[in-house]
Amino acid sequence: MAEKFDHLEEHLEKFVENIRQLGIIVSDFQPSSQAGLNQKLNFIVTGLQDIDKCRQQLHDIMVPLEVFEYIDQGRNPQLYTKECLERALAKNEQVKGKIDTMKKFKSLLIQELSKVFPEDMAKYRSIRGEDHPPS
Amino acid sequence: MKVINARCRGTAGAEGTMENFTALFGAQADPPPPPAALGFGPGKPPPPPPPPPGGGPGTAPPPSAATAPPGTDKSAAGCGPFYLMRELPGNTELTGSTNLITHYNLEHAYNKFCGKKVKEKLSNFLPDLPGMIDLPGSHDNSSLRSLIEKPPILGGSFNPITGTMLAGFRLHTGPLPEQCRLMHIQPPKKKNKHKHKQSRTQDPVPPETPSDSDHKKKKKKKEEDPERKRKKKEKKKKKNRHSPDHPGMGSSQASSSSSLR
Repeated sequence: MAEKFDHLEEHLEKFVENIRQLGIIVSDFQPSSQAGLNQKLNFIVTGLQDIDKCRQQLHDIMVPLEVFEYIDQGRNPQLYTKECLERALAKNEQVKGKIDTMKKFKSLLIQELSKVFPEDMAKYRSIRGEDHPPS
Repeated sequence: MKVINARCRGTAGAEGTMENFTALFGAQADPPPPPAALGFGPGKPPPPPPPPPGGGPGTAPPPSAATAPPGTDKSAAGCGPFYLMRELPGNTELTGSTNLITHYNLEHAYNKFCGKKVKEKLSNFLPDLPGMIDLPGSHDNSSLRSLIEKPPILGGSFNPITGTMLAGFRLHTGPLPEQCRLMHIQPPKKKNKHKHKQSRTQDPVPPETPSDSDHKKKKKKKEEDPERKRKKKEKKKKKNRHSPDHPGMGSSQASSSSSLR
């Protein structure tokens, strides 16, 4: 799995470096640097071909659209992961709280109902197969 | 690689499962009743008809376990006040009562991202990327969203540029106008300077002229130097005056010259 990304990362790094070098050549162009420019242009074409080949290996990778919003705003995309994990944990704790409260409510309800309707609750327990109310 | 909207993932998944379901059970099959996890069924079943006082041949038989609606506990059916009772969900079902981060072995990721402070800027994530990448994409029309919304028109493949096509890339000699030099402006970096230098030395292309910031540093040093020298001289003079064996002019000159060395 990680190899696929390493491969893409390597190609992207090479491509970015080629673009940077092309930028340097173009920023102060000299007639003697025409051959270098031509070579760089073809490196960029081969770089794009290499990146395009990586597409086949990564067709099953899902990228959340929200990550792009972070990148477009010049923010670290790791913040998205961080916020996702924090949100997941908070929601997890919230749901756990609800479940625990419902369990407490159930045991209290059974306890109180057993006082008022002892026969019915005995029947209920026999159906449920519970001798004691769940804690 | 596909781009997905995380908010729509749940509904898309549900639709997918529904499609699978209809494929398995045929199109004419009725949709399954919603799960009655907490005992709330699709609706209250019709109450059993009250038994006639004398009974009779026309009376319907009482509902038995076999005719109980789907999802009800068969043992509970027809048990007086508990006819609505459903089976409890199994304990094996994954719910929010378990720590889902530990369940999916994500503690490492959690500690990595939430344990320490993640730096805010994009350049901290991609330190080797040239250019001002911390600016919003809308600023220079380089946003990824625009790439998705308006994808570029592409041909089938990338072909190398041949000799005649390369003739179109003959450029004018001389430096670029200043407004076009945005690519070489780098955000100020505190760390990883050493790393950067190494990568630059490996470049086949000769490095650029030193940036303005370097010039400023050098100028500052030059400006500070004569002041420092003057201060040092004054200090030495004072010291010499206070010393018990106060030397003459020649020796003080010698000491100042030695300090310069």
